[in-house]
Amino acid sequence: MHELSVALEICRIAEERLGEGDPQRLATVGLDLGDESGLEPENLRFCLETLLSAPPFGAARPVITRLPGDALRVTYLEIEDGGPDD
Amino acid sequence: MAVRTIEVRERVMERNDALAGEIRATLARAGVVAFNLVSSPGSGKTSLLERTLDVVGEELDVAVVTGDVQTQNDADRLARRTARLVQAVVTGGACHLDALQVRTALEVLDLEQVRLLFVENVGNLVCPASWDLGESAKIVVFSVTEGEDKPLKYPKMFRQSRYAVLNKIDLLPHLRFDLDRAVANAREVNPELRFFFTSALTGEGLPEWCDFLREQVRGGVPV
Repeated sequence: MHELSVALEICRIAEERLGEGDPQRLATVGLDLGDESGLEPENLRFCLETLLSAPPFGAARPVITRLPGDALRVTYLEIEDGGPDD
Repeated sequence: MAVRTIEVRERVMERNDALAGEIRATLARAGVVAFNLVSSPGSGKTSLLERTLDVVGEELDVAVVTGDVQTQNDADRLARRTARLVQAVVTGGACHLDALQVRTALEVLDLEQVRLLFVENVGNLVCPASWDLGESAKIVVFSVTEGEDKPLKYPKMFRQSRYAVLNKIDLLPHLRFDLDRAVANAREVNPELRFFFTSALTGEGLPEWCDFLREQVRGGVPV
């Protein structure tokens, strides 16, 4: 029921970690989500997709890894760094 | 485009939990025992607090913070029972109180004049279980009109609570509610749960409840 509150907090953590970096370049937010975390994964995904495609973000997407237990953490951020691909 | 990865590994609740830790330390310094009252809507949290304020409000220097999605109705009701300030948090849609809201509400209370604090959470058996508010313990209130299987349906809330109040027991003669089964269900998810059986309407069970509160205040903040 509180997926939007959690999604907002995830976005806050992402912005904080990006620091001076450009949130527009954020591509992926990796999350661990426990089955007993009290959150509905599809609802959380919807909230995150909505928030991460609006300013200050560009078009980042969440990658949710389901786990047993009550884990709820941001695991990594992927940023497009502007360099050419190898 | 090349992609760079930043390792984060930060718990989403980290900031709330850090704030809750600060609240817990502040309350401990002031010698305040704090209970986070959680329940479904309509289980009788406010009625139980009205009765509690009548009996031990002055004796135990009780302060209350209420949380509701809309209206200050609960705070208004409780303010009639105490000379102390009753702080109302209107969440404006959010389904739970968080530590930041509680810290803000506590800023205007003189905690040196308080020995027992109740935080009456938003009526909801799901979300408030996930937010630590810096309380000494959670107390789950449920009522005999709700069905014996509430603890099995909402195990997280009953697991996180140290005490349970089964309210509205004056209605038992009119219902097919199996009290023993309700208690057994609750103990199945949390064997340590200590029960109180009350009627906020008739006052039944209130003496035991109030004696428990006196004990808790005498015992101080559990470390």
